[in-house]
Amino acid sequence: MSLLNTLLTALRGIGSNTLRTALTTLGIIIGVASVIATLALGNGARAAVNANFRSLGSDQIQIDQDLELKNGQMQAEGETLTYEDGLGMPGAVPLVDRAEMTVGGSAKVRYGRQTDQLNFQGTDAGALLSVISEGQIQPVGWPADKPLTPQAFIAQGRFFTDAEVVDGDPVCVLGYQTALDLFEGDDPIGQTVWVDRKSCEVVGVAAELEAVNVEDRINTRPNEGLFMPVSFAIQNLFDQEPWVTIIAHVSDESKMEAAKAEIATYLRQRHGILPGPDGKYADDFHMTTRQDVLGAQQQSAATFSLLLTALAVVSLVVGGIGIMNVMLVSVSERTREIGVRMAVGARGRDVVAQFLLEAILLSAGGGLLGIALGILTIPIAASLNQGVALLDPESVPLAFGVSLATGLVFGLYPALRASQLDPIEALRYE
Amino acid sequence: MKVIRTHDLRRTYVLGKSAVEALRGVDIEVQTGEFVALMGPSGSGKSTMLHLLGCLDRPTAGSYWLEDRDMSKLSRDERAQVRNQRVGFIFQTFNLLPRLNALDNIALPLLYGRHAGSVDQRAAEALERVGLASRAQHRPNELSGGECQRVAIARALVADPALILADEPTGNLDSKTGAEIMRLLDELCAEGRTILMVTHDANVAAHAGRILQMQDGRILDGRRSGVAA
Repeated sequence: MSLLNTLLTALRGIGSNTLRTALTTLGIIIGVASVIATLALGNGARAAVNANFRSLGSDQIQIDQDLELKNGQMQAEGETLTYEDGLGMPGAVPLVDRAEMTVGGSAKVRYGRQTDQLNFQGTDAGALLSVISEGQIQPVGWPADKPLTPQAFIAQGRFFTDAEVVDGDPVCVLGYQTALDLFEGDDPIGQTVWVDRKSCEVVGVAAELEAVNVEDRINTRPNEGLFMPVSFAIQNLFDQEPWVTIIAHVSDESKMEAAKAEIATYLRQRHGILPGPDGKYADDFHMTTRQDVLGAQQQSAATFSLLLTALAVVSLVVGGIGIMNVMLVSVSERTREIGVRMAVGARGRDVVAQFLLEAILLSAGGGLLGIALGILTIPIAASLNQGVALLDPESVPLAFGVSLATGLVFGLYPALRASQLDPIEALRYE
Repeated sequence: MKVIRTHDLRRTYVLGKSAVEALRGVDIEVQTGEFVALMGPSGSGKSTMLHLLGCLDRPTAGSYWLEDRDMSKLSRDERAQVRNQRVGFIFQTFNLLPRLNALDNIALPLLYGRHAGSVDQRAAEALERVGLASRAQHRPNELSGGECQRVAIARALVADPALILADEPTGNLDSKTGAEIMRLLDELCAEGRTILMVTHDANVAAHAGRILQMQDGRILDGRRSGVAA
């Protein structure tokens, strides 16, 4: 029998009981949808890895103060991680080339009669490069495919220089909204603002910025606040020595773990941390590398993927058994038809082809619906996985192939059974 | 030319521990263009005989030649091919496929195996031959019993077989319709078709040129009936 005729015959067979057919494919639909969602999670995690490629440069180790809640306030645990800890690091730790320190806080900022309580960030002169490499913030409407430059972040004036950082000069760069709020349209460049009663010259205004991630735009306010040299901020805006965040740049990226160990040794020495009775150190700081960040993200995606894979496998097996069941029922209901077909010359392989194709059509139909459902499910999967899920284009043919294979595997037994019927018995079947 | 020739044809069914000898050595010959009726009480072996002659089954022992080709050693697929090309079946219960219309039912044999010409055209010609051209698109449940049997006869004819096997072709029809069907079979015989028919009904059997009586798995006699009305 020709393929076309077999196909038509199989289609007629399926059409004979639509409700049963629809219910049968449910397992396949869920299974295939799970396959699509699973691969979307994997793909999303991969995309996130790419997006965060530079969020912490591959040569960077971020060192943060351990904090504890004391009297309702977050306070440094143990010794404070200081600016000097960072300054001394490149000299004392052979694997560290360079260290950047940042400090954050809140201050009263005044210009004329306008006063605002604002967040400030003390950084070094390379802060904009760090912002770019973090990849979280961009000028409003910046095209995704256009590379960012530090200049793009400055609307007016300039960012402060290395020399100003070394000297601790009283200069600052205002956020876009802050400049508007304080100066109400006047030109702020060269003007003096008062930051917690310290005078500070405005040398630049940042461009209007937004979070790169659309979902984060509501929660982030990158246009409020100001940047200033970290040295100035530490000297003038804190009652006591503030803790800083240190970004250490490692000279050899293949030795990140060794660098971590060296940094730990250096800081333990400076902070006077001795090993406890169990030989472990009670550090008052912690270190993060890109590997750590990505590892955690991939771990959560992998766990979720594993769950969905299990669901996919179970659904596909259940769906396959459903198909096998409905095909067995169909074969038994149509025993007489099989007998007639055999009497007029259908060979075993013709009968196999008819019923196998019917099973495959069922599972393929379920597969197509499953793919549609899977694509609709991706936003839900994303919401359960920190927004990380993205349709993997390759998953569509794969999922379809899996559904076809399910039909083939589970349709084979009923089809073989049909083909092995004795035509005489089949013709007599009531 | 002999369409059918059997020699010492035997068929034994094994049911559990006991063996039932349905055929105990049958020798028959049927010539081209003959209309032969096979009669006998239930259990005499008529149906078994029909199944063997139609290549639906294989003899336990003995030989069967269809158009001088030995059928007793053929494989399952080879027998399917013989049924497809050389044999047409007519059943008591018509055995049409309920979801196919008359034309598609008739075309069914042409879809399995190679046949010359256009499937649709051959099916339409066969339908016309049985006088139902106007019913081509009707499904079996929209046709009367007599019409169904005509469609079934058209299906048996469509592949131009060497042998038409009819199993109680009038068994499910009233006598008037049955008579019409028998008239159609007479016509086919007159056109040179070879027909072998199993029946209980002596009046139906009277249409045949020859009646074979079966009992206990053997042919009793092979006398010519001489009646052909």
